[in-house]
Amino acid sequence: MDPILHGLMLVAQPVNLALILAGVLVGVVVGALPGLSSPMAVALLLPFTVTLDPVPAISMLAALYCAGTFGGSITAILINAPGAPPAVATAFDGYPMAKKGEAGRALGMAAVASVIGGVFSLLVFLLATPWLAEVALSFRPPEYFALAVFALSMLATVSGRSPVRNLIAGAVGVLIGTAGIHLTTGVQRFTFGVPELADGVHFVPVLIGLFAMSELLSQSRTLNVLYERITSVVIRLPSRDDFRKVRGTILRSSVIGTFIGILPAEGSTVAAIIGYNEAKRWSKHKGEFGHGAIEGVAGPEAANNAATGGAMVPTLALGIPGSSTTALILAALIMHGFRPGPYLVQQTPEFIYAIFGAMLVANFLFLGIGLAGAKVFSRITMIPPTFLWPAVFVFSMIGAYSFSGSLFDVWVMLAAGIGGFVMNRHGFGPAPLVMGLILGAMVEERLSQSMIMFDNDWLRFFDSPIVVVFFVLTVVGLAWPALAPRFRRRDTPSEPAP
Amino acid sequence: MTSIPGNGGRNGESEPATRTDIRVTLIIIAVALALWLETTTFESVPTLLAQNIPPEFFPRLVLATIVVLALVLPFEPLILKRHGGAKRKTAPLPAMTWMTAALLAAVAAATAWVGTLASMVLACLLLPALWGERRAMRVIPFALLFPGAVALVFSGLLKVPFEPGLLAPLLGVN
Repeated sequence: MDPILHGLMLVAQPVNLALILAGVLVGVVVGALPGLSSPMAVALLLPFTVTLDPVPAISMLAALYCAGTFGGSITAILINAPGAPPAVATAFDGYPMAKKGEAGRALGMAAVASVIGGVFSLLVFLLATPWLAEVALSFRPPEYFALAVFALSMLATVSGRSPVRNLIAGAVGVLIGTAGIHLTTGVQRFTFGVPELADGVHFVPVLIGLFAMSELLSQSRTLNVLYERITSVVIRLPSRDDFRKVRGTILRSSVIGTFIGILPAEGSTVAAIIGYNEAKRWSKHKGEFGHGAIEGVAGPEAANNAATGGAMVPTLALGIPGSSTTALILAALIMHGFRPGPYLVQQTPEFIYAIFGAMLVANFLFLGIGLAGAKVFSRITMIPPTFLWPAVFVFSMIGAYSFSGSLFDVWVMLAAGIGGFVMNRHGFGPAPLVMGLILGAMVEERLSQSMIMFDNDWLRFFDSPIVVVFFVLTVVGLAWPALAPRFRRRDTPSEPAP
Repeated sequence: MTSIPGNGGRNGESEPATRTDIRVTLIIIAVALALWLETTTFESVPTLLAQNIPPEFFPRLVLATIVVLALVLPFEPLILKRHGGAKRKTAPLPAMTWMTAALLAAVAAATAWVGTLASMVLACLLLPALWGERRAMRVIPFALLFPGAVALVFSGLLKVPFEPGLLAPLLGVN
């Protein structure tokens, strides 16, 4: 019990609580603003957290992650523009409810369902992380290699229209990670005569470029988009009748969201869409979906917030990110000198519990802030893009430059932004690329160690039953996008409402 | 279904996806081949030092994976049995996007000369103007006050390093 208390005491320090509150506020704001997202905000904040101690730094980012997922629901409900991808499914019924004059009821339900989903997943996080870390302690390099390959294969199933494109983007991320000096031999790879590349491509400028700059360029195409706003909002906590109607949906979505969050690479967006589909499938009022069903708000909101706690489990216990935002939190941990994985959990358990505490506090903070300030946050969308995006550029430039005090990193950020924009335009999303970038080093290192262990005999990978299990899961993960439609056809059709 | 930002939504309705996919596949293969050639220029090391894993081994493995995946790309709609999405086209880029990218690059280039603070002012002045903001009474205070506040917080309070710029000594700035 000591490490848990120690961790919670760390969070309870006033400075840490203030930073968690700041993280929640930033999270709700960026979540609410269409175009801005929690991965972008985490990427922008990364370089500035270097000066902080690890606990407040990671607590703030984790709080931002939780709040950003909820923040997207505000604009999804009020202006039919999901502030963040995980809120896409919330708009299906949230906006029709708002149009019927029930915006306050929808927002209240979104906030409460989010908190229940979030707290449920944190309890699972509390129990599952030490257990998973204990299991992972027996992993050797071949098992880690197989696990990382499995995580990369899961990119085929992350949201987006093209599994093959996701996998290519992931592989490109891995390839970018190989630039610089090869640790075993000292040979320079892909440096093209540029001395700054000898150290490799720094994570931070690439992440800022991929999430902030590419979105800025996307926004330049949509400057004239106007949102219809629902202005008269009186937030209402869900009534007893509403609760009775949605309690099964919330519980089911919390379980689904947590499970999907734990799967490597899968994040809140997938959880929300499945949460919505399942809410509809189990509902006695299927006809209401798409026209303002309260279950259509509770389902995706409980699921997407449950995925946040779930996604932290593999991130901390295995060093395998559960989503794009946790990939960035993983990068932050590495920046602070930690090596996420079982030894982090075993040697500094209080740190893990501090993150749990921070996320728990964040959940209750955004409930209060969300309920009290939804109207204010919805007005944030009135900031003209002609002022918002130059401000994002300013933060991006400072973030990229300050990381190593080099203008070269500003160019890296711009190149990543333009490259990310072009790739995104052709269906290659930034999230798989980031996952590849973060996992690439682990894959190469563990492969090299395994090959040395096995004296270059590939077949010895199959001596380990754990490796075989991960390889089988990899094959299933790769084949799943092709198999899934066949399963769906046999099952009850349950497409989200347009 | 709603296009999910950041996950590669594609819009438009007039060109068969396969033609675009073939073009994308060819570009990916060309870049992969160029990078493969680059791996041939890596310094060679004795086998003992490389411990049987030469430095070019892993990048080549990844490049080969990319090529294989790229070859699958044009057949993806068939494999996934997606009939509805067969006709999709990437809409042409508006000139504004090109100009925005050029402006950002110009501001980044100017940073080396004028320093971080002045380049922030430039960005806050020029980007709104480029994007059609004509209310000078809003743009000018924004371009002066916002970078000033950012510099105060980050450079002054948080001690985040700012590029002084090559012109700084001439202007008497340290």
